[in-house]
Amino acid sequence: MGERELIGLAGLVALFVLLALRVPVGLAMVAVGIGGNYALSLVVPYLRFDPFLKQFKTLLWNVVANYELSVVPLFILMGFLASHANLSRDLFQGVNALVGRLRGGVAMAAVTACAGFGAVCGSSLATASTMGRVALPELRRMRYAPTLATGSLAAGGTLGILIPPSVALVIYAIIVEASIIEMFQAAIIPGIIAVLFFLGVIAALVRLRPDAAPPAAPMDAGERRKALIRLAPVVMLFGAIVLGLGAGLFTPTPAAGVGVVAVLGYGLLLRLRGEGLTVSGIKLSVLETAVTSGMIYFILFGAEVLKGFFSRAGLPAALAQWAGASGLDPWIILIVMLAILIVLGCFMESLAMILVVVPFFWPTLVDLNGGDYASATTAAYGLSTDELKIWFGILALVVVELGLITPPVGLNVFIIASIAKDTPMGEVFRGVMPFFGVEIVRVGLLLAFPVLALLLPRLVAG
Amino acid sequence: MRAILEKIARWWALLGGAILLLIALVTVTNAGAFLADRVARSFGATVSGLPGYEDFVRLAISAAALMMIPYCQQRRGHVVIAFFVAKLPAVARRALDRISSGAMALLALFLAYWMWLGMAETEADHALSRVLGWPEWPFYLPGIVSLVLWGLIAAVQTLEPRGHG
Repeated sequence: MGERELIGLAGLVALFVLLALRVPVGLAMVAVGIGGNYALSLVVPYLRFDPFLKQFKTLLWNVVANYELSVVPLFILMGFLASHANLSRDLFQGVNALVGRLRGGVAMAAVTACAGFGAVCGSSLATASTMGRVALPELRRMRYAPTLATGSLAAGGTLGILIPPSVALVIYAIIVEASIIEMFQAAIIPGIIAVLFFLGVIAALVRLRPDAAPPAAPMDAGERRKALIRLAPVVMLFGAIVLGLGAGLFTPTPAAGVGVVAVLGYGLLLRLRGEGLTVSGIKLSVLETAVTSGMIYFILFGAEVLKGFFSRAGLPAALAQWAGASGLDPWIILIVMLAILIVLGCFMESLAMILVVVPFFWPTLVDLNGGDYASATTAAYGLSTDELKIWFGILALVVVELGLITPPVGLNVFIIASIAKDTPMGEVFRGVMPFFGVEIVRVGLLLAFPVLALLLPRLVAG
Repeated sequence: MRAILEKIARWWALLGGAILLLIALVTVTNAGAFLADRVARSFGATVSGLPGYEDFVRLAISAAALMMIPYCQQRRGHVVIAFFVAKLPAVARRALDRISSGAMALLALFLAYWMWLGMAETEADHALSRVLGWPEWPFYLPGIVSLVLWGLIAAVQTLEPRGHG
């Protein structure tokens, strides 16, 4: 390993030290990027510091002036507007009216509503937090066991990161230069599998321990009708966005723009019956969007600076070379990468992790697979580079989801435990373990059958 | 000073949100025109979309995105990993936060300085957007203001303990 690569490696260590010291992720990335480039300029004369500094004249503007990325704040705004218009509540109550009478039905309704709300919200943490507040009181009222109630919500919350339109998928697609639409299509089947697995876990748990979910009294007919009437527009709205994106009927930015206007319009329409969006609700939605989008844009900028440093230091290439020369089976290396993502996912925000880790892992995978122009027949993973991009993206996001419920520090578990104040953290973790188990099975399925992710993009592409 | 900065950051973010809503409305109009065109074509007519729509979105989002960052800083919304320092004494955590806020202030002002130079260069180069032909340099201005505001808010937070933002 040469001096350049050593500086790159020192930069990587410095990055993790800064992150561990609670330095904001974007700041740590920029600091390491600038410091690392300065160190490189001292050791390697042709990697001068001046030209690097001058790129700051336009770098930030170029990061934000990006048509494709405009989808991120728009989807975030749509999610917050939906939340303030109480669409998350309508979704949960509507699904509850349909399945609430089944044994474990309220928990099933919570997981299904998590999937639906996660689809428009795009963030697992926000889904867990919103649905936790909406569904937990009802689960308590129905005397569900705290482990089942909190475990379902913590696990259900993870669905937000994968089911399209997902902000994390957009960011991943931009990093590896994949088609955002194809990524969305690829996420649909694994997302549905997750929902079915989670529902299966709840059904199995209540069969084993019927007292965990007491049977619900029949819902009053009028109340049921009201809940279903409220569910219909939400399903149409969310369904149109998810299916339209999945079927390739529209591209992400128009979908997000139309979604924002549709949710805003529907939320204002609900004002006619004294509900829905108020002016202060709209303001709050915008301000919450500002916090989340500001955070994402800063990390994206940090990742751009850091990427420049690491590629100047030749670190991703060195890692790819090392992996190739190690003689290890490409599948073992892939599994190690996924394990690293799970561990990091326990501590790190998913977007930050994708931005830090994927630029390292991706060139290595491409090399192991047989290079940029690998064909499916000769490639180590049996996939062309374009399909590898899609498959790895889905796998990466699924294991990031897994990190969110991995003991001892899964972030979703912390969120649900903070909402369910009287349920100790240990109990939430105990509740989430069956879901963790089926998530591992899902990762295994995706590894064994890449077609689960690739089927829809292949079908749509014809 | 702090109260004034907070108010400005809040309104600045709301203005950024208004631009975002404008983008959404323009997008709906463009999508509507696209759909109308599909229908009109079966009758032998055409409806044109908004010319330079993507150009507009690119320029507008450049302003809106940066206008949101000062408020994000005010709310201490930037992602941190709290796990490893959670057991440290409060004094140590406050000290770490202050150092981070100070570094953030320096970074924001550093970026404002370079972006200012970038704006001057873009103006001198007469850089225009591809389809609309609008000059790009004025779209640097909201970004520069945002960066200065971000730096000032972070500087104020350097002097104050965490949790009051």
